[in-house]
Amino acid sequence: MKILLEFARGPLFRLTFAVMVLGLARILILDIWGMIEAYRRAGDKNIPWKLTMIRTVEWLFPVKRVMHHRPLYSLTGILFHIGLLTVPLFLFAHVQLWRSGIGFGWFTLPRLWADILTIMTIVMGAGLFFGRLGHSKSRVISRKQDYLWPLLLIIPFVTGFICANLGVAPKFYHLVLLTHILSAELIFVLLPFTKIAHCVLMPLSQIVMTLAWKFPAKVDEDICVTLNKKGAPV
Amino acid sequence: MKLTPLTAEEKNRAFAPTKKPEVIEKQRLAVRYHIEDFPVDDRPRRFLNAFAAILRHSNYRFALDHFVRISAKCSRCATSCQVYLATGDPEDIPCKRSELLLSVYRRHFTLGGSVRGRLFDRGHLTDAMIQKMADSFWNCTACRRCTMECPSGIDHALITHLGRYILSEIGIAPRALVISTREQLEGATGNTSAIPLPALVDTLEFLEEDMKEEKGIDILFPRDVENADWVFFPAVSDFLMEAETLMGVAAVFAATGDSWTIGTGYFDGINYGLFYSDRILERVVKKVDAETRRLKGKNVLIGECGHASRSAKYFLPTHCGGDKALPVVNIMEYTHQAWKEGRLKLKANTIKRRVTYHDPCNIARQRWITEQPRELLKAICVDFVEMTPNRDENICCGGGGGTVSIDEIRPYRTAVGGRAKAEQIRATGAKYVVAPCANCKKQLKELLEDQKIDCEVIGLHDLLYRAIEFDAPPTSAEEPQKEE
Repeated sequence: MKILLEFARGPLFRLTFAVMVLGLARILILDIWGMIEAYRRAGDKNIPWKLTMIRTVEWLFPVKRVMHHRPLYSLTGILFHIGLLTVPLFLFAHVQLWRSGIGFGWFTLPRLWADILTIMTIVMGAGLFFGRLGHSKSRVISRKQDYLWPLLLIIPFVTGFICANLGVAPKFYHLVLLTHILSAELIFVLLPFTKIAHCVLMPLSQIVMTLAWKFPAKVDEDICVTLNKKGAPV
Repeated sequence: MKLTPLTAEEKNRAFAPTKKPEVIEKQRLAVRYHIEDFPVDDRPRRFLNAFAAILRHSNYRFALDHFVRISAKCSRCATSCQVYLATGDPEDIPCKRSELLLSVYRRHFTLGGSVRGRLFDRGHLTDAMIQKMADSFWNCTACRRCTMECPSGIDHALITHLGRYILSEIGIAPRALVISTREQLEGATGNTSAIPLPALVDTLEFLEEDMKEEKGIDILFPRDVENADWVFFPAVSDFLMEAETLMGVAAVFAATGDSWTIGTGYFDGINYGLFYSDRILERVVKKVDAETRRLKGKNVLIGECGHASRSAKYFLPTHCGGDKALPVVNIMEYTHQAWKEGRLKLKANTIKRRVTYHDPCNIARQRWITEQPRELLKAICVDFVEMTPNRDENICCGGGGGTVSIDEIRPYRTAVGGRAKAEQIRATGAKYVVAPCANCKKQLKELLEDQKIDCEVIGLHDLLYRAIEFDAPPTSAEEPQKEE
């Protein structure tokens, strides 16, 4: 078990973390490259930056938006995201690991806050799962990954909370810790290749949307030539 | 928002077949709108060829890649779509509609999708999928309200727009739009309503006489004036159906004294390309540009029409010179500016009946023109009330995206597409709903008639016409009083 734990904490962590970082960097670069190309080809380069930025900020901090539609489900989603972002990044135990690994750390959450946020994330994750399951509109459009993601994402929170707070037998403790690490690593690996890629792409969405309506100039002729429709009537 | 459920009778009327079975069999396509005959063999291959050609020459690919990666399927879009709220049909959920095209893109135009598709032999584009797209993309009014509610920022209206564009390249597009566009681009009259030039001139002269009689001063529709500040392009249907709007525009210019003109070479602001084909969109905006340049005009002025304004404002720079393109202004912007500068005087409290304002999606969703008409209305109305929601969050009239021009689907438009708007208008208790858009006006008139709502649809300039104060005193005995 100890060897497994060391492997999961060491080489496997480095590998999966690298897959995540490189995978996310790849799609981010592809997205930005696509935007640059679209802008270069656009016949009209006048972009309403102010409105685009306002809408981006509105969605990054969707306080104004949340009450519009399905307020309970939306609020659940927001709280879930807050927990997802803050606990792994600012948990004292995690920051200590980073400090020992890379030589420096950062702000950490007080223990009580970390516990509250962890429980909140677990509850909200379950809420999202059941919210999707129990809502006919959501069910109709949901894929397998849409159900599995909330469940997968709360595994590290549940296991982390058990390790940190509940007195369990050492053997069981190691098993839970291993599950904690492996589930997090599975998330790392899947992240760039699934919808969770929105963690890096979402801030670009409003710009993508704006640029997508900026068509290249004079495409009529090019498309007619490609489709062999030159001179064809309307 | 919860809507009154469709009654069985409404449902039957809205979804009743509009075509004979033999036509459906011949065209191998069961959609409610009429289409011209088109090649029916090997449709999937031709669809994919058109899709590939469009991707190659356009900017859609990067957006589709983004949408495919980011789609979270949260279903928030369902709660804001007036079509889904009326039908409750899962096929009308914007995210599900978008998935029709995104799945084709993923399967045939991405590496992962192609590999998976070939390995497991699934996901090929079929005739049945084309049938579904042809149906679904024309159920949508392309109002972009769902886009506003999508946390992931997926532009479902863009996907609908692209889907319609690809379909049109294989011959699947509403006949009403195609025939009008053909007349506009290749016909003798050169406009979507097929108005011959002599008939236009007659109409304008008749309106001039009418205004002289009503206001007692010469209010003209200048034609082919070179070097004018403003070259005017209304939705050409206004010449047939919305004369009072045009009279209001002419009266505004009579009051400000600015130079403006209507070009007899081309005088149609309508651009159905925005609804079904980027190639058509490009050809039409080029006609607007060419006519303005022929007359050496300084600005393109678009009349009360949402899609005409949006297509000129956003796509004239695209195809006609970028930064050097002619400025495009909507008539409401011009009128508001003149009023603010004190060059246009409006008589307060002219309109006594309760008035509400409908934001056309094509000019409000992007927060382009929302406040100007409201300020003008508040200046002349005693009782102005808002619909809720409004401005960039407005609800579509139900005839957006070109669907209003498809007469055969009127029962669908007024029972389903416009259901939310009808309830909004009814709730205001207004007697006038001001809709500064030719398409919205037509749809709302039909909607109010079919939904039996006691309210009149009217243009902004129709009301302004009644309230404009001219410097020169009227020669007629008394000021006309159209108000009760």
